[in-house]
Amino acid sequence: MMSIHRGALGALSAAATIALVSGCAPAAPSPSDDDPNATRDVDLVVAIDAGLAAPALDSIEKQIAAFEDEYPHIHVKTREYTWTGTTFAAELSGGTLPDVFTVPVTDGKGLIEQGQVADISALVAELPYFDNFNPTVLAAGQNAAGDVLAVPVSIYGQALHYNRELFRQAGLDPDQPPTSWAEVIADAKAISDATGQAGFASMSSANTGGWIVSTMTYTLGGRLQEAKGGAAVSTVNGRETAEALEYLHRMRWDDDSMGANFIYVGKSINQDFAAGKIGMFIKGADNYTQLVQQADVDPDIYGLTTLPVADAKDAGVLGGGTLAAVNSKADADTQAAAVKWIDFFYLQRLVDEDAAVANAKIMVETDQPVGVPQLPIFDKETYDKQQSWIEPYINVPQDQMTHYIDNMFDQTLVNEMPNQTQAIYALLDPVLQAVLTDRNADIQKLLDAANNSAQQLLDRS
Amino acid sequence: MSVIPEPRAAALPVLAPERSASAMPGKGARTGWPRRTRRPDPEAQEAAAISAADWRRPRVRITTTLLHGMLFLALVVTGLGPLLWMAKSAITPTRDTLTAPMALFPNGFAWENLWIAWNEVHVGTYFLNTVFLAIGCWAVQMIVATTAGYALSVLRPRYGPLLTSLVLCTLFVPSVVLLVPLYLTVLDPPLLHQSLINTFWAVWLPSGASAFNIVLVKKFFDNLPREIFEAAKTDGAGPYRVFWSIVLPMSKAILGVVSVFAIIASWKDFLWPMLVLPDIEVQPLSVRLPAIETTTDLGVFIAALAISTLIPVILFLLFQKTFLNSAGLGGAVKG
Amino acid sequence: MSVMRTQPGFGPESGRRTPLTWLRQGGHHTVILLLPMFLIFGVFSWYPIVRSVVMSVQKTNLVSAPVFVGWDNFAYVLSDPLLPTAVLNTLYFAGLALVFGYPVPLVAAVLMNEVRRRKGIFSALAYLPVVIPPVVSVLLWKLFYDGSSTGVFNTILGWVGIGPQPWIQSAASAMPSLVLQATWAGAGATIIIYLAALASVPPELYDAASVDGASIWRKIWHVTLPQLRGVLFITMILQIIATAQVFLEPFLLTGGGPANSTVTVLLMIYNYAFANSLGGDYGAATALSILVAIVLALFSLLYFRLTSRWSDS
Repeated sequence: MMSIHRGALGALSAAATIALVSGCAPAAPSPSDDDPNATRDVDLVVAIDAGLAAPALDSIEKQIAAFEDEYPHIHVKTREYTWTGTTFAAELSGGTLPDVFTVPVTDGKGLIEQGQVADISALVAELPYFDNFNPTVLAAGQNAAGDVLAVPVSIYGQALHYNRELFRQAGLDPDQPPTSWAEVIADAKAISDATGQAGFASMSSANTGGWIVSTMTYTLGGRLQEAKGGAAVSTVNGRETAEALEYLHRMRWDDDSMGANFIYVGKSINQDFAAGKIGMFIKGADNYTQLVQQADVDPDIYGLTTLPVADAKDAGVLGGGTLAAVNSKADADTQAAAVKWIDFFYLQRLVDEDAAVANAKIMVETDQPVGVPQLPIFDKETYDKQQSWIEPYINVPQDQMTHYIDNMFDQTLVNEMPNQTQAIYALLDPVLQAVLTDRNADIQKLLDAANNSAQQLLDRS
Repeated sequence: MSVIPEPRAAALPVLAPERSASAMPGKGARTGWPRRTRRPDPEAQEAAAISAADWRRPRVRITTTLLHGMLFLALVVTGLGPLLWMAKSAITPTRDTLTAPMALFPNGFAWENLWIAWNEVHVGTYFLNTVFLAIGCWAVQMIVATTAGYALSVLRPRYGPLLTSLVLCTLFVPSVVLLVPLYLTVLDPPLLHQSLINTFWAVWLPSGASAFNIVLVKKFFDNLPREIFEAAKTDGAGPYRVFWSIVLPMSKAILGVVSVFAIIASWKDFLWPMLVLPDIEVQPLSVRLPAIETTTDLGVFIAALAISTLIPVILFLLFQKTFLNSAGLGGAVKG
Repeated sequence: MSVMRTQPGFGPESGRRTPLTWLRQGGHHTVILLLPMFLIFGVFSWYPIVRSVVMSVQKTNLVSAPVFVGWDNFAYVLSDPLLPTAVLNTLYFAGLALVFGYPVPLVAAVLMNEVRRRKGIFSALAYLPVVIPPVVSVLLWKLFYDGSSTGVFNTILGWVGIGPQPWIQSAASAMPSLVLQATWAGAGATIIIYLAALASVPPELYDAASVDGASIWRKIWHVTLPQLRGVLFITMILQIIATAQVFLEPFLLTGGGPANSTVTVLLMIYNYAFANSLGGDYGAATALSILVAIVLALFSLLYFRLTSRWSDS
């Protein structure tokens, strides 16, 4: 646990403790009866997001305290953890992977297929609300046999975040956000003309560029990958992708409405948005939590609306999600404790009124957001109930998000492309960056080159 | 007209204590601070192209003074400028730094940036980690370099030359080659079979494998007078005694150089600690600062940067002579 | 270089030695004293070097046993479309760094060597940027390089009427921006090295030159610079080797962008092994690092061959 006040000795003892713990086996089981539910002391290391500010850490500590009250034999330690595909194998073999960790849905599939997570399907099946899982969502965590090896804990769709204050300053109505790409472009120009800030910005580095390109392509009805006769075919250079990049090119060079800084990743775009430098940007609909916890955003400026989806056949909104999985090296006791933690920390608040209220109270006490729009993991009935439980505690400006909340169920959620996703995103990053930094970038040529490389990747795997 | 004898690399200063002091012939070199006395001493110029006679000519004097003035200005702007900006922005509200970065406190100060950086961002913790890492690396490097240098130079075993060449070989291997296998070795060390990841040992131990240190120390020991060892040996002193009580005290100069290199290298290290210390509790400043860049308020972040720079700069100002001598001689000895 | 090989060392020397005599003469003490070096080098230097070569011909994923794949990794690395870009970028960086970072410290050092008073301040000011931890200076310059008109450098340019520059936000100016920062951070160290070398030039040479009536410029050209030749050669090759392995600046400032304009070979190696796509390709990473080592070794050999001929002439 990260306690706030630590002196020199503390740092040293922390280092020593970690040195000792990192290689140690779990605590020896305390002698007890042959009661299978006997409480053996378990040390559980759980993952938390990196870079959380003090209040967010505070709220997590409170939840840990509540959890340890309920399960006195489980001792929880947090570890800052960010999913990174390649160090995963090293972390797994080096023993630094937390017992419970989160992984994006796309990467989770690979782990499940390779058996690199613990098989917790029996434990998960025992959860009382197991049958209420939305089957499509649950499928993300299932292996070929249908066993649930990782638990979906959140799903989201991409959305458009906008700065109401900048809208106001540009003479636009903050309650009438754009509903088509043409309007997005026009509003961006208005904002940059009136305020000098970037009207529209886009992530572009560390694979997020490709992610955004994928998002925009989907809204226009295109796809980046198709399955033809059992093999994966790359369609990164399709018409819709080129069109999406054309929009960005126009905003950047014709309208000059994208500001002067273009190398953005998730955290830095949040940071600049909170600092009032960005009018609109695309990111997951649940981004408000991060904006509050990491970027200290002023709630008054925040607005959320749905992405403009074209009236095309396959047009939809890119969806994503997070799975919670258990370290494959965890022993049976740790696995049991891990599933309890997953249940407590991620899922209880969605299915149980007391848990929802308790969680909401802690979040409110520590100034954490309650009521950020989320897509349902379980069925709609559970979702509606959960919304009603937390309603008195909602402290996010939902009236500034109405355009999203009212329309989110009407949009078609589309999955990420299934093969070599991150690698292909990495190929598209430079394309997006080139469009934004080189006036004479030949979009089709760049896309064709990227498509060739993407196809090579697909053929190799 | 040919004036030059054939330049030899050996013209560069040999590493001996007296020489090091005069390597910086400026009058202030002894104390590290320029002295106040103005000793007019045109003859005292060592190795200057501008002789006393040249200096008497006004055109030379004026041009040179002008050039020196411009150089001084340039050095102040490039050397001090960024540091001063950092110090100023550390106590300026973020809003001002964003909108008018070169203005001087248009809206007053923001001392709380320092406070927040220390307490909420825990700069203190990471700073201490940096210090622990530096001390440990220094200790490991000293132990390895002195014992190896002593054994190879003074004790001279039969297999000494073989070991020396094995060590020298590693000098020519760029560190990038080691990156991945060293990482995997630290994950699963051969004898221990317990991962060293997230422990300081993962940084301390590999730092000892510095062929450069051993070459430096061995060369220095090679130049020590053998008679003293002979005398000690006849007096009945064993190899450890000689090492501890005779060789080490005589080697303060070179140990100082190695220490400075070791500590500076440790302070600067980034990629390796980033790989082997993923747990934020044990990360040094060099790893932590980039990680928090995007989730920290700008003013607080700059304050954190400023705090991290404070100690190295203060150490440098206090021990200028040692720093500069090591830096200069490091290059000279390499020749 | 004095090597007192003929003098007897401390330990046992010639003569027929049995294990007993070896022990009696204290041979085991030597072994004990060499133990730290042996252990540390063995585990953390020699073993990884060997392992690197071995891994470059294997496919490893840490979960299952490594598989021997022959030259596959090398073929993969050499056929990676990003490699030529990375190599060119690295050469570009090294070249720019040589153009900016090599003559400037030399001129500064020669000038500083003529300073008659308070030379200490000059040295201290020059060395100050070197003392700042590299991470801090890179992050600081990242702020300086903000592309909007309220960025630090752009504000300063605004004072003299120059419009805001994209700095690291444009493929054309990203690499020069990196070089500028790297030069700022490293020039001081080079200046000090030159100063130390300059200080060792025997004053008699200058006196002789003055007596011969040489002008200042001729003295510098014919006395100062030739004396520096040795150091100049060494620093050049050291600089080239260091810049060939540049990693920190592209990693922290631009992440290799924009549009791969600042991807260096080291960054590629890092990405092969540790970046965010599934499956750490340690084989490719080690293969590429070995290629880099070979290229640098060949280059150094060539360099020393050339310069030794040069300085002998």
